[in-house]
Amino acid sequence: MQDRRLKYVLILPAALLVLGTTIWPLAVSLVTSFRDWRLTRSLTPGPFIGSEHYVTALTDDPDFLNALQVTASFVAIDVTLTVVCALGLALLLRRAGVLHSLTRAVLILPFAVSPALVGISFRFMFNAEMGVFTWLAGTLVPWLKGYVWLGDPVASLLVLVFSDAWRWVPYMTLVVLGGLSALPREPEEAARIDGASEWQVLRDVTLPALLPVLAVVAILKTVFALKMFDQVVTLTGGGPGQSTTTLAYLVYSIAFRWYDMGYASAVAWILTAMLVFLAVWYMKLILRKPGGA
Amino acid sequence: MAEVSLRNVTKAWGSFTAVRDQSLEIRDGEFMVLLGPSGCGKTTTMRMIAGLEEPTAGDILIGGQRVNDLPPRDRDIAMVFQSYGLYPHMTVEDNIGYPLKLRGIKGAERAAQVRAAAAKVELEALLHRRPKELSGGQRQRVALARAIVRRPTVFLMDEPLSNLDAKLRVSTRAEIKHLQHELGVTTVYVTHDQIEAMTLAHRVAVMQGGEIRQLDTPEVIYDRPADLFVAGFIGSPPMNLVQGQHADGRFTAAGGFHAVTGVARHSGPAVLGVRPEDVTVAPAGQGDLDASIYAVELTGDAVLVTVQAGDSRIIAKADRAWRAEIGSSVALRLDASRLHLFDAASTKRLQPE
Repeated sequence: MQDRRLKYVLILPAALLVLGTTIWPLAVSLVTSFRDWRLTRSLTPGPFIGSEHYVTALTDDPDFLNALQVTASFVAIDVTLTVVCALGLALLLRRAGVLHSLTRAVLILPFAVSPALVGISFRFMFNAEMGVFTWLAGTLVPWLKGYVWLGDPVASLLVLVFSDAWRWVPYMTLVVLGGLSALPREPEEAARIDGASEWQVLRDVTLPALLPVLAVVAILKTVFALKMFDQVVTLTGGGPGQSTTTLAYLVYSIAFRWYDMGYASAVAWILTAMLVFLAVWYMKLILRKPGGA
Repeated sequence: MAEVSLRNVTKAWGSFTAVRDQSLEIRDGEFMVLLGPSGCGKTTTMRMIAGLEEPTAGDILIGGQRVNDLPPRDRDIAMVFQSYGLYPHMTVEDNIGYPLKLRGIKGAERAAQVRAAAAKVELEALLHRRPKELSGGQRQRVALARAIVRRPTVFLMDEPLSNLDAKLRVSTRAEIKHLQHELGVTTVYVTHDQIEAMTLAHRVAVMQGGEIRQLDTPEVIYDRPADLFVAGFIGSPPMNLVQGQHADGRFTAAGGFHAVTGVARHSGPAVLGVRPEDVTVAPAGQGDLDASIYAVELTGDAVLVTVQAGDSRIIAKADRAWRAEIGSSVALRLDASRLHLFDAASTKRLQPE
């Protein structure tokens, strides 16, 4: 009997930690999302107002709709770019060789850089007067000389995507490489002998076999892209205008610039619902029994 | 239809040489088996013919044309892999039809050719299944159908039976032999299984350490092995090999083992070989050598008798009804016309070819 109780005692500290730092704040924010609570008026939460915040967000808030649109564009471009680049790099790095394995080892470095720092470095690199990228683009394409990248709504979103892809592509390349190395060689060799060109081997044999891995990469990247926050703070500040205000940054703005805790919680919970949906899908995909593909 | 030639072919990875300066002529329509233990270079040799590996030195010719610089798809070959190499996301029909699809053969014509190939290996009923819904034997038949669907000039088969269970192996072996006979396509077949080599091949190349040790018909390989490696590798149970001295046409070994070889020109250390089925166990005093029974093993179709003769242990194959007590005295008769004598230093056969 003592043995049976011991295992619960042993996981108790971890359980308390998760309860205190994750479950409890989540629960409080869920409750808050149904209340009217502005810190500018009161330090204690106000009355319950039902689903009013949710209705407002989904039907009558141009800021929310804008953030949703920005986030959707960001996710679509970011995920596509990351998957395509990771796949391409992985195919190039697939062959054995000293240089290949060296490159593979170096690949992990960008991922070790804090995302906030990535944003700051990119802000410097895209600075209109002294940014190295601004200089490079201006040298290659004369009419881009001195272009204010972060002053253009479309360009600043692309720079944000670029900074995030720079951080994520190498890591995802390693994931795809892992998937590639797990593929049996024989079907590809059979296709070569059957008369396929390298492009046909890739299209007809390698990619279909790699699809489950690419799906995992895409979903995982979507989850992280939906939460995009750090680089928005340090690189664009959500602007110009609201052109790079993602949902996560909007939640932060509502809560800690306008101090509307109730509404911020509601928007945060809409974002959370999307993330949970994707996470469940992701878990289903990776926990699926092998051979069930 | 074409002949395949390897001329002084070498394949090395860094300091490791997998195939060492080998030449081999495979005739048009011939069934050539490359036989050897793992790591002997047989699969590397086949992969070089396929174009999946590039030779470090030497030339490979198919139908008289040098193919060293041609990618696999331009060599007009078909290959069957050990783990089948099927396309897992395609149906059986699409797997078999893939080589035709790549050649631009469309619609009804492709379907007809796929059905004809599938019929040859009795797969018509399974055309809409996927590989994972098939048994191992069925998968290997899909691989065979994919190989024959477009009449290549050369078939390459890399241990196609080794993932099948014993019973299926026998029936698929016969199917492969029948197909090759019917189609008459030059075939190179890699295996480590001597039974497959003996049963399938027109000629066998026995390989070891990246070199062909003997190249001949199965009969000659079995009856006149060129060296000790071939003698020991072919045959089950393996040939008895006794270390000793040879002089004046007479072989002697420690403990009184002796035999008359009839080879006049050799004297010095030698190894005498005799196959278990060429050794007869006779009642004590009625043979050439005195011996005692060490063990008796019934295998079903025969009895394997291990006897102690001098310091040597000899295995004899006796009739399945044969019985004796362990330790009892017997005599051995060796079939003098089927003794094999090898030089101990060079390991080469001493009798004329």
